[in-house]
Amino acid sequence: MKRIAARTLYTLIVLLLSSIAVFYAIRLSGGDAVSARLPASASYEEREEFRELLGLNDPVHEQYFRYMGRLLTFDLGKSLTNNADIFDMLTEHGRNSLILGAAAFALVFVIGVPLGILAAVKRNSWADGSVMTFSVAGMAVPNFWLALLSVWLFASTLGWLPSAGCCSTKQLILPAVVLAMEGIALTVRMTRSAMLENLGQDFVRTLRAGGLSEASIVGKHVLRNAMVPIISLAGLRIGQIVGYALVVETIFGWPGLGQVLVNAVLRRDYPVAQFFSLVLITIVVLSNWLADVGYTVANPRLRKT
Amino acid sequence: MSTDRTATTANGAVSSQHTEAAANSAGRSPVLSVRNLHTAVATPEGSFDVVRDVSFDINPNEVLCLVGESGCGKTITALSIMRLLPTPPVRITSGEIVFDGDDLTRLAERQVRDVRSERISMIFQDPLTSLDPVFTVGQVMTEVIRTHRDATKAEAREMSVDILRAVGLPAPEERFDSYPHELSGGMRQRVMIATALVLDPEILIADEPTTALDVTVQAQILERLRAEQQDRHMSMLLITHDLAVVASIADRVAVMYAGEIVEEAPVDELFSDPRHPYTQGLLRALPHVSRKRRELVPIAGLVPPAQMMPPGCRFAPRCPHALDQCWDEHPSYDVHGEVGLRCFNPQPF
Repeated sequence: MKRIAARTLYTLIVLLLSSIAVFYAIRLSGGDAVSARLPASASYEEREEFRELLGLNDPVHEQYFRYMGRLLTFDLGKSLTNNADIFDMLTEHGRNSLILGAAAFALVFVIGVPLGILAAVKRNSWADGSVMTFSVAGMAVPNFWLALLSVWLFASTLGWLPSAGCCSTKQLILPAVVLAMEGIALTVRMTRSAMLENLGQDFVRTLRAGGLSEASIVGKHVLRNAMVPIISLAGLRIGQIVGYALVVETIFGWPGLGQVLVNAVLRRDYPVAQFFSLVLITIVVLSNWLADVGYTVANPRLRKT
Repeated sequence: MSTDRTATTANGAVSSQHTEAAANSAGRSPVLSVRNLHTAVATPEGSFDVVRDVSFDINPNEVLCLVGESGCGKTITALSIMRLLPTPPVRITSGEIVFDGDDLTRLAERQVRDVRSERISMIFQDPLTSLDPVFTVGQVMTEVIRTHRDATKAEAREMSVDILRAVGLPAPEERFDSYPHELSGGMRQRVMIATALVLDPEILIADEPTTALDVTVQAQILERLRAEQQDRHMSMLLITHDLAVVASIADRVAVMYAGEIVEEAPVDELFSDPRHPYTQGLLRALPHVSRKRRELVPIAGLVPPAQMMPPGCRFAPRCPHALDQCWDEHPSYDVHGEVGLRCFNPQPF
């Protein structure tokens, strides 16, 4: 409990610091909303007036406090490019990203853990060899390239799946698999090595001496021990998926948070860029917090300390 | 009884007799008989016996101690009986382990599982690493009980708490729901003993059960093991390198050296009249309160590695009484009454 409380406090501090960092970084990035919004023919006076209107001439820390205040009251403002309400953008695109991210996250474990167990139990067999080769490939191939390859093969050549768009199940398959690939590869390796490590532990011999079946020893006792590091890194997989979503959503035209952020940055729509950066950072930081909680829950040795 | 099988060594000498005579002379048939057991480890350089031509009986209601230095094959012998060898690379190459008319070395894995814990139990040296860290004491005990018996969870809990109390664990109801890391070393060993005894086995194999514990806790655990053995009319095979443990608990002792049994005798006889120079060496290396002025005498030299075993007596390179014959010929294991000996030149102590 104490450990969870400490991690929660730490998480809140990280969130606070990263919100400050995002706020300053966007203001230091050169160019500003004014030149993005007003036509090039606007006069100096018009520009100054607009600056004053947006509060851009105030000191940055004052702008920060004002912005945080508005965040807390869900008054997020509007996009500079299309005047859309930012909160509406969050719910609409967030839903799309959640579908894609959840699908990818599920694939990581539904595919990764069983393959890892298979490789560990059939160690040094052809099955182990193929799984490990697949895993190396999954880690080595960059996901943007994998995305292009999969579009070429499954959409252009075979015509089995659509190449882009949202939001049918068929359209979900390619981006979800591409997004999950590196996580699957890592999870396979981690599961395999954690299973092998625990299979060699003394307690396995004690359980065998107790007459338990090999199915229970491997499928219950060893697996539960092996899941401790895997669960603890599950949160990191979320962070990884969020990061890759920027690339994958853009390639597959999946209108999620990542795509919105990329477009906002390209168009210097900085209220949108700022807010969606904060959203993604919050997801990553919270998923790390979740990892800590998960580790504590999965590992009885940490639960009561 | 088992078929008369004799193993033949490389130089042609008949290497082993049976210890059946010993059992018969005591007027009872053994619970478990190990006959000419060979267990080998496969290495890139070839296969080497780590247990060689080992024969002994475990009689009803007695404590047999298997004594020897680390690496002499004691644990491998015990794991061979339980069929818990890490195969590959270690496996039984020949011999029989007769238990209730069955040869354990030939049973299918499924049949061996029915024997484990239900009829022959084993406890291990390090009680910390030997318990599953992410399950509670009660979860594992319940699973062991329900694997072998038709019992409800409530019945299994009752059986577990009873046995935990019997082996002297304080607050057994609470400890039932504890994780191993919440217990002290002595408590963990009591948990392991309780789990091993909960199904009332006929034989308990204890592999260095007190080595990892504090001296005061060691005495408590040994006392508890001895008491449980007598209350349950159970046989026990206790493996140790500690002659003080042997003196306090054994009925009979078998001394192992380099994978072979070199001497076997009732405990009093072994301590008062050891015949094999190795046994004598072990006793001379033992501090003794009543003979405090005597110097301790170490046994010179080291155990040869498995791939460099001498063709003759395996102890010859370290033996102060080695004859020419000892270097050339492998001594057979001869049994007279309750005493077994593998030596060409036994000495008075």
